[in-house]
Amino acid sequence: MKTIFDGKLRVLDISMGWAGPLAGQMFAEMGAEVIKVEDTHHFDWWRGSLSMAPPEMHPIERSAVFNSANRGKRGVTLDLASPRGIEILKRLVKLSDILIENFSPGVVDRLGLGYESVRAINPRLIMISMPSFGSDGPERNARGYGNTVEAMAGVTGLAGYHDGSGQRYTLSNALGDPVGGLHAVFALMVAIRERERTGRGQLIELAQVEALIPFVAEEILDYQFTGRVPSARGNRHREHAPHGIYRCAGDDNWIALACQSDDQWRSLAAALGLERIAADQRFASASARKANEDALDAELSRAIAQLDADDCVARLRGAGALAAPVNPAPALMGDPQLRSREYFVAIDRAVVGTHLYPGAVARIPDTPLRAEVPAPLLGEHNRQVFAELLGMTDDEIADLERAGVIGSAPRQRRAAP
Amino acid sequence: MPIVRKWLRALSAMIIADRRPLTSADAQGLTAHAPMRSNPGGMRYRALSDVRVVDLTHFIAGPYATKLLADMGADVVKVEPPWGERGRKLGPHRAGHNDRGALFAFLNLNKRGVTLNLKHDRGRELLAGLLDGADLLIENFAPGTLAALGLAPDELIAKFPSLSIVSISNFGQDGPERDGKLNDLLLFARGGWTFEVGERDREPLTPPGSLAQYIGALYGAVGAMQALVARDLALGHGQHIDVSLLEATVSTMIYETVSFQYTGTVRGRVGKRYAVGPFLIVTLKCRDGYAGLHCVTDKQFEALCDLMGRRELASHPRFNTALNRMINNDALLEIVEPFFLGRERNWLYREGQRRAIPLVPIPSVAEVLEWEQTRARNYFETIDDPVLGTIRVPGTPLRLTSHRAQGSRPAPQLGEHNREVFGRRLGLSDSTIDGLKKAGTV
Repeated sequence: MKTIFDGKLRVLDISMGWAGPLAGQMFAEMGAEVIKVEDTHHFDWWRGSLSMAPPEMHPIERSAVFNSANRGKRGVTLDLASPRGIEILKRLVKLSDILIENFSPGVVDRLGLGYESVRAINPRLIMISMPSFGSDGPERNARGYGNTVEAMAGVTGLAGYHDGSGQRYTLSNALGDPVGGLHAVFALMVAIRERERTGRGQLIELAQVEALIPFVAEEILDYQFTGRVPSARGNRHREHAPHGIYRCAGDDNWIALACQSDDQWRSLAAALGLERIAADQRFASASARKANEDALDAELSRAIAQLDADDCVARLRGAGALAAPVNPAPALMGDPQLRSREYFVAIDRAVVGTHLYPGAVARIPDTPLRAEVPAPLLGEHNRQVFAELLGMTDDEIADLERAGVIGSAPRQRRAAP
Repeated sequence: MPIVRKWLRALSAMIIADRRPLTSADAQGLTAHAPMRSNPGGMRYRALSDVRVVDLTHFIAGPYATKLLADMGADVVKVEPPWGERGRKLGPHRAGHNDRGALFAFLNLNKRGVTLNLKHDRGRELLAGLLDGADLLIENFAPGTLAALGLAPDELIAKFPSLSIVSISNFGQDGPERDGKLNDLLLFARGGWTFEVGERDREPLTPPGSLAQYIGALYGAVGAMQALVARDLALGHGQHIDVSLLEATVSTMIYETVSFQYTGTVRGRVGKRYAVGPFLIVTLKCRDGYAGLHCVTDKQFEALCDLMGRRELASHPRFNTALNRMINNDALLEIVEPFFLGRERNWLYREGQRRAIPLVPIPSVAEVLEWEQTRARNYFETIDDPVLGTIRVPGTPLRLTSHRAQGSRPAPQLGEHNREVFGRRLGLSDSTIDGLKKAGTV
């Protein structure tokens, strides 16, 4: 079936980690030709470290996260510290529609790939820069990754137990990264449409922290009205109770449940056979349940601790209550709704074999997204890309290999370019 | 010599920039490649000004998706029932104004608002009038709701071939649990975000707020753009796009779902650490709060050792490689913890960053609002809301150099643009609109 771009859009992805690569991955899903450029000395840090296993095990080809976030791309290597490497990269820039970079501010300028330089080569190019905190302002040079961006957006400061020590917790998914990547795709799609009209490319800046701050707009507004800094609520809700996570029988099994009305409370209590608790005056109304939440949670915890998690969720759902399992990875991958919609896709990737990966989210019937093409090995498509796109001969490619400008084996690290 | 080259490069960049002739487009806010400067205090672009959106969304995921489009200049007409969508009360309130929540006022900036009762024949007729010539219909009703109203997506697209419909729902438009109930707590738990966070011997800790709804919104906005581009470049007609909040939530869990299969290990809760791995990613107590440390590469570890005045640790056999730092992660944490505890957040931030360590003070939302970086970049926008008064809201994170940003328009009051939209776009007279109002249609 047709894809959105059918190979008619070329994306040059020189980004690393997750935010930038996710944007490239999503363009690959749309049928764009995405070329991922890595340096054999400074390959994508998400491949992990060479010291993790002996070289014959190819440790940098065994990164679950790299192999997820770079699906569908063609992989080439270029020594970005050498003039020849930069010259070849510029030839690719000339032939590309989009350039994705998420280096720290100033790095692309040092490489000679600042926007003014690439525009001079290719005025139709759309370039996106994704600095953590912005390309200007006093903190522009601060280093950020998914987790640190998450912190600076105010998210981590809200994540803690309701009765805790004040300890704050990083979320489980380096939230700043996927949020940055998704915004980048949105921005690039806007710019592509605009280029259709004007014929011109442009530079887009996306400060990753600024993409995440809107997610806590409610708390930011609340602070403006009350002057109080919102505290961590843990698993509790501002108004409703019960609203929490409770241990079930077994080793590390938990369910989440919530009540938003008296009706839901009654059906929850009936479903779990908690008539005694339901009749307790301390829990008779929504405000009473909230006021006596500690006691309520203690009662519920005692009752639920004996129950099988799946059975408990099924009974609660059957009664119309709000309940869900707290899924660790294996249960998540077996989720009946996700399986029914074939959300995970199987991919056979060199070195690691066949596994399931999260699929494309948007279901687009006539131009479906393709999430099932594996991530490249380091330098896997050097020959293909340099011969096809740049017309290099076998001799030229062999010469570049000898000179260390390209390669498919990681090299010892040396000082950054 | 390098200095000369750098100077020459800067000079040639200036010459290129100077050559740009001014065009009439400049006058309309189009600034072809204006230099990247701080946002001039406005948050709305005109890049999508040719895109018409009919917005049937409510609550968070739908409205944030259409806000992203509206911020890029799309003409978004928010269609609500005459009693208002249920998200109107969302968020903190000013005393005495419980009908307009501040979160609603943020999520619906830059949209126009009309009311229509879609259970009335005339209401659906008027909606069809709005859809005629529209590019996008975006909705987040329970699946099947549009069809039950006689507005089945496939039929609408057949009738209006250039229209695309984006549906954002809890579980997607099909599957055995399509109609299941959900809230944020359940979405995080089921979607895999919760299990790994918190203390090993305590209950897993849910993430704060409605973060996953915003992820769903992003996929919705991207889906809308995908439909537009597919229509214009590949198909010539619109499509119905299906976005599931559960799948959007799970899409961010590549660490868990894929790593688990590679290693056979299920990631569990490890307290203040993000995970136990060949790195140290951890939220650490300091003298005056908490700091976030993200120490991954060899270089970052060497810099961390330098920060602590313990450079010998970098070559210590227990910590000298990523693998050893994973094996001896507990011991490493025991060394780092007391160092952080004795120091202030901002000292750690300054000294850590000076050594290129990704190390940040963990701010409260109040500190985010006052952070000198957001101030210097004019990131927060001040809105004069007709009901709530002056509020400061997050601005658009996208900076397009092709356009100058303009100030945002406040969120619409209920039915605020009925006359403007129904009058100008559908040609209804004031008296007709009054009649519809009496009949409860608008």
